Amino acid sequence: MELNLNRVDYLQVGVTSQKTMRLLPALGRKATQKVVVADQDGVITCFGMKKGDAVPVFKTLPGQKISRLELGGALGTPQEKIFVAAGSEVRGFTKKGKQFLSFEANLTESIKAMYVSGADLFVCASYIYNHYCDCKDQDYYLSGDKINDIVCLPVENLGRITPVLACQDRVLRVLQGSDLMYDIEVPGPASVLELNNRDGGSQGGEILYGTSDGKLGLLRLTDTSPVHIWEVANEKKRGGVLCIDSFDIIGDGVKEILVGRDDGTVEVYGLDSSNEPVLRFEHKSKTLSESVTSIQGGCVGKESFEEVLTATYTGWLTGLTSEPQHKEAGPGEEIKMSRETQNKIAALRAELEQLQIKVLQEREKYQQSSQSSKAVSAVPVFSINDKFTLCQDDASYSLTLEVQTAIDNVLLQSDVPIDLLDVDKNSAVVSFSECDSEPNGNFLLATYRCQANTTRLELKIRSIEGQYGTLQAYVTPRLQPKTCQVRRYQIKPLSLHQRTHTIDHDRPMNTLTLTGQFSFAEIHSWVVFCLPEVPEKTPAGDSVTFDFQNTFLDTQLECTYSKCEANFKSDNISTISILKDVLSKEATKRKINLNISYDINEESVNHTLKMIHPKLEYQLLLAKKVQLIDALKELQVHEGNVDFLIPEYRSILEEASRLLEEYKKQPAHLERLYGMITDLFIDKFKFKGQNVKTKVPLLLEILDNYELNSLVEFFDSA
Amino acid sequence: MLVPVFTLKLNHRINPRMVAVGRFDGVHPCLTAATQAGKVFIHNPHTRSQRLFSSRVSQSAQDSDISLLNINQAVSCLTTGTLAPGSSCHALLVGSQTSLLAYDVHNNADIFYREITDGANAIVLGNLGDIPSPLAVIGGNCALQGFDHEGNDLFWTVTGDNVRSLVLCDFTGDGKNELLVGSEDFDIRVFKEDELLAEITENETVTSLCHMHGSRFGYSLANGTVGVYDRTARYWRIKSKNHAMSIHAFDLNADGVVELITGWSNGKMDARSDRTGEVIFKDNFSSSVAGVVEGDYRMDGQTQLICASIEGEVRGYLPASKEMKGNLMDTSVEQDLIRELSQRKQNLLLELRNYEENSKCVAGCLTSEVDAQGGVIPANTQLQTALSVKAGTESQRPHIELCISTPNETIIRAVLIFAEGIFEGESHVVHPSVQNLSGCVRVPIIPPKDIPVDLHIKAFVGSKNSTQFHVFEITRQLPRFSMYELCKDDTAPRPKGKVTFQINDRPQRVIMWLNQNFLLPASLESPDVTFTALRAGGLLCIRMQPSGEIQLNTDDIDLAGDLVQSLASFLAIDDLQVEADFPAYFEDIRMTLTEVDEFHSVHQKLTAVMADHSNAIRHMLVQAEDARLMGDLKTMKKRYIELYDLNRDLINEYKIRSNNHTALLSCLKAVNQAIQRAGRLRVGKPKTQVVTACRDAIKNNNVNALFKIMRAGTPSS
Repeated sequence: MELNLNRVDYLQVGVTSQKTMRLLPALGRKATQKVVVADQDGVITCFGMKKGDAVPVFKTLPGQKISRLELGGALGTPQEKIFVAAGSEVRGFTKKGKQFLSFEANLTESIKAMYVSGADLFVCASYIYNHYCDCKDQDYYLSGDKINDIVCLPVENLGRITPVLACQDRVLRVLQGSDLMYDIEVPGPASVLELNNRDGGSQGGEILYGTSDGKLGLLRLTDTSPVHIWEVANEKKRGGVLCIDSFDIIGDGVKEILVGRDDGTVEVYGLDSSNEPVLRFEHKSKTLSESVTSIQGGCVGKESFEEVLTATYTGWLTGLTSEPQHKEAGPGEEIKMSRETQNKIAALRAELEQLQIKVLQEREKYQQSSQSSKAVSAVPVFSINDKFTLCQDDASYSLTLEVQTAIDNVLLQSDVPIDLLDVDKNSAVVSFSECDSEPNGNFLLATYRCQANTTRLELKIRSIEGQYGTLQAYVTPRLQPKTCQVRRYQIKPLSLHQRTHTIDHDRPMNTLTLTGQFSFAEIHSWVVFCLPEVPEKTPAGDSVTFDFQNTFLDTQLECTYSKCEANFKSDNISTISILKDVLSKEATKRKINLNISYDINEESVNHTLKMIHPKLEYQLLLAKKVQLIDALKELQVHEGNVDFLIPEYRSILEEASRLLEEYKKQPAHLERLYGMITDLFIDKFKFKGQNVKTKVPLLLEILDNYELNSLVEFFDSA
Repeated sequence: MLVPVFTLKLNHRINPRMVAVGRFDGVHPCLTAATQAGKVFIHNPHTRSQRLFSSRVSQSAQDSDISLLNINQAVSCLTTGTLAPGSSCHALLVGSQTSLLAYDVHNNADIFYREITDGANAIVLGNLGDIPSPLAVIGGNCALQGFDHEGNDLFWTVTGDNVRSLVLCDFTGDGKNELLVGSEDFDIRVFKEDELLAEITENETVTSLCHMHGSRFGYSLANGTVGVYDRTARYWRIKSKNHAMSIHAFDLNADGVVELITGWSNGKMDARSDRTGEVIFKDNFSSSVAGVVEGDYRMDGQTQLICASIEGEVRGYLPASKEMKGNLMDTSVEQDLIRELSQRKQNLLLELRNYEENSKCVAGCLTSEVDAQGGVIPANTQLQTALSVKAGTESQRPHIELCISTPNETIIRAVLIFAEGIFEGESHVVHPSVQNLSGCVRVPIIPPKDIPVDLHIKAFVGSKNSTQFHVFEITRQLPRFSMYELCKDDTAPRPKGKVTFQINDRPQRVIMWLNQNFLLPASLESPDVTFTALRAGGLLCIRMQPSGEIQLNTDDIDLAGDLVQSLASFLAIDDLQVEADFPAYFEDIRMTLTEVDEFHSVHQKLTAVMADHSNAIRHMLVQAEDARLMGDLKTMKKRYIELYDLNRDLINEYKIRSNNHTALLSCLKAVNQAIQRAGRLRVGKPKTQVVTACRDAIKNNNVNALFKIMRAGTPSS
């Protein structure tokens, strides 16, 4: 069915974190609900809507940044107690705004995620999980990677406490007490967890998860193992999921799934007859695309009109309501409507004017202070919401920068050669500046001049494995006094690798073994230096194994290491070669004596070539077809029909638009494959102690007339 | 929300900027566009029964509404309109790199066909100045030519570089049209017939021009800029990362004022208010927009805006009805206004918070480490900038040095300079590595042309380990003639090239002009100076006699022209007669002219040879076919081998011919440029006279007269 929702803006608060807005339960049936939202200034705002005006219920004083807001209450009663996590403290408020709880969790770090169920409180810092019952310490767990979110399966249904942690290493960890019951691999780093249907489904074990690369899924947890029910891939390249809710917006008695993403998209999924999710509604703001940090279904603006309420990064509370905006009404009513808004606008304008005067005074004062020789100028740090992630589909990095106010310009600087790709979504004018690699070590200097009202900028970056360094982004917002902030991102030596939990042991593997006087922490820090998605904290235990997959070639890497010994296994000889170079360099830097030995499996090279073969063949064919399209179209115009063409050409013409789209999606794919084959060739012989750089032109010639057998032969014979 | 009133899929690719609507029978509008393979298609949905068949026109097999016109040459521009005075039928004009065809589609006849040596990059049809009949004006390599309906060449003049866009517009408001010419040297020139009225310098190739209303016109550049000028004053401009393919003026919101409609390379189409540039409507195509035109395509008395994409998708939009109140987008105005106001409020609050926190920090004095991260700097930090001319050294080319420094221990983390036309992109960045950080940054700047440039400098100032920096924003102007260094050495021989002219102004005014337009270490006292040109080398001497006679010595004719133009506009001189002599340059032109003659004769020779060959081919083919019919396979084979050889010869000859042609073109361009340069040495009436006289001299092939005119500035009398 067609779902039609209209946007209404309610209120703006400060910058909000993920999951910091909830709707209080309605008092009667079909009455409007109050909204409670907490921001990074530490203010909790509770308000209700009356005749289109936001009427505050209560508002707390500013304080520490609030990272989570949850509702709770005794089990079986309306969940209307408000809990917020700020720093390492949890505070509780009644719905009237009276504080009844202040609980110091005694964590060294601030709380990242929180869940409340009855008298049970679950809090998570970066790696630590803590469970309190009636504010008394119960259980504790140290996770292997960063914890992004937590839920607890409903106690009413299961009769026991089953917390589930969403961790950065693409795993959901299900706990029992202080122990890990089992873990579940999910297709991306899970960023949010929510109980399905708000109560975990009929058996109470269903969990919805969203990942930071934009995927969505439903799981059913049983006592022993999980069941994957469905999964929605991110084909349209939408942003990462930040919040999920279940709510019956259509009014058919079944709850739909509401999803908010970090590129400003709001989606509503319904279930079809076979219980598969179908996209029912999608809202994408054209002018503003800021992260949707919280999403809730309920009734806020007007009685008996269901709506989807969202909170965005910059603090806007916006409803997508089922109430029609342009009502069929007489002309008189229309005027009344606009008068209301006119008053609102007039009030806003007056407020603005006063503010402007105040700002002018302050500005003057600030200018005057610049005359004095003793005064200093210190502008507070503004917050930047940034994300630097590897996209699996096209093996490139995406960098998103989001600021509370409009961005003026962004300067990108890199000390490694990287390619900046064009992103359709961003409208900023990019300009590349000449750079001098000597003496300043710049390989990329680019400015993005943003159009007015751009608060979020998305960039795509392609890195080359083996070349590593730092990418820096200087962000200048349009805010007086003008300041800019720098953000640094590491481009790691094996930048195109991604954590995985399944590895194929039957492939021919090359092994690199390191022994020497290094500690477990040291070798771990080297691995962190080389590979993305490894937790910075040294893992517990004596030894650890991490598995990786190359997102471009699908080759794999297995790292096992402990004190004084490390083993790296990969079917790609280039990966081993890069590791060897980087690790020996790092060790030399720290003056540690390393014994490096390697075991090269000749077969692995051919195996890798065979893995590349289908990709390369497909790309070559695609390139060839795309080249022919224009000529064939011309023939078509000339001859008037295509009957005389052979079927192959006719099919190219029929598929022309699809081919072109595909070709556009993967710029320079072929060149990258060529580059990797060349690396493979050089690395194979490097381990034999031969330098074959002179033979590279010959290799490229063979690649131009590509055939798997001749390539393999060349690799063998050279 | 405004939606298209019709959508067509034409299944023919459309070449960018080559779309027009013509009423070829005087009644029915037809969408006409250039497509692949040197063809023009005419979409005629209104008169299905009447079909045209002839040698040129063929029916498209795919679509019965489309007729195809064979041009057999890559089309480079196309337009439609009334050519014959008083006629109601539109003519179709198609230009290519070598020819112009005026075609009567309805009667299926050529109106005229002309060889155009300078090529036709752009075309416009309409009335120009006092010329009574409509002219088809084409712009080619540095030349402009206008033809009437009989193919008579009624208008000719030269311009600075290859023409990319043309429009007719009443620039002066005198009721007569002037010709606006956008060219590859980034200039928009305004011609009142052959007199140059104004020059507007932009910072990229001018790709399109369109007339808005009155003296207002829209323009687009190759770097993605579109904007609106009123006369020589720019109203607004915006820059996008995409390229504007086509611009058109159309009143889409029915408020009585036209909007600027832009079709972009990413398939976006938007309408912007002519006053502010604010977007009032936008739509998206799946491929790049090829052209934006207007016409009553539904024949219901209302004019639609018609957009065509390069894939052949065509959409028509009707102007908005009254009920929409000019609100064409799918949002409510009030909502957006409230949102915008709230956003402004939020911004002001944030700024206020900045000041509060700042004063708090000042009151609480420094708490060392945290502040270093936040980038605390002394409040009296001020950025100093200095511009100076640096002669070249072994390691560095001559350049202008911009020195930016802080007065205290703070460092400059990076410098961004936004300026137009002097860097490869729109900005230049200096980002020293961590070990090279200091409070002083020197930026070498090499402006490629003599134009005044505003440098918008943003410097990030903080301490060494800050993560947040203060941004200092300063604007400095680079004077027009900045790449010239004052030369102290008076003994050096003066350049041979010179221009001499007489002004009625005090020397002080000239000194003032020198001080404003050159980058000097100190103000000058006397108007007699010598400079070294850093870009091209060589000297530039300026001398002024007490009588008011000024002599400029330089071998660079372009520089002399720029100086004369700049000085004349500074002193507000309307007409200036100049005597000039550039022996070296004139010698080059003399050589070029002889080369042109040679190329012409080679061309004729080659054409004759080609005619011979084609006769031989006919002959051989008949012989070969005869042999085949007689069963004499041996002879047949021999003949075909001969034919094959001949074919190869022909291909070789073609290559020679095309090389000859390109060489000829570049020579012709040089000649056109010489005339233009000779014109630029003069101002006002004398300028027009020089250009016309030069043209006559070339027409009469009188080389000596040409140089005489270039020297004396007046036709020989």
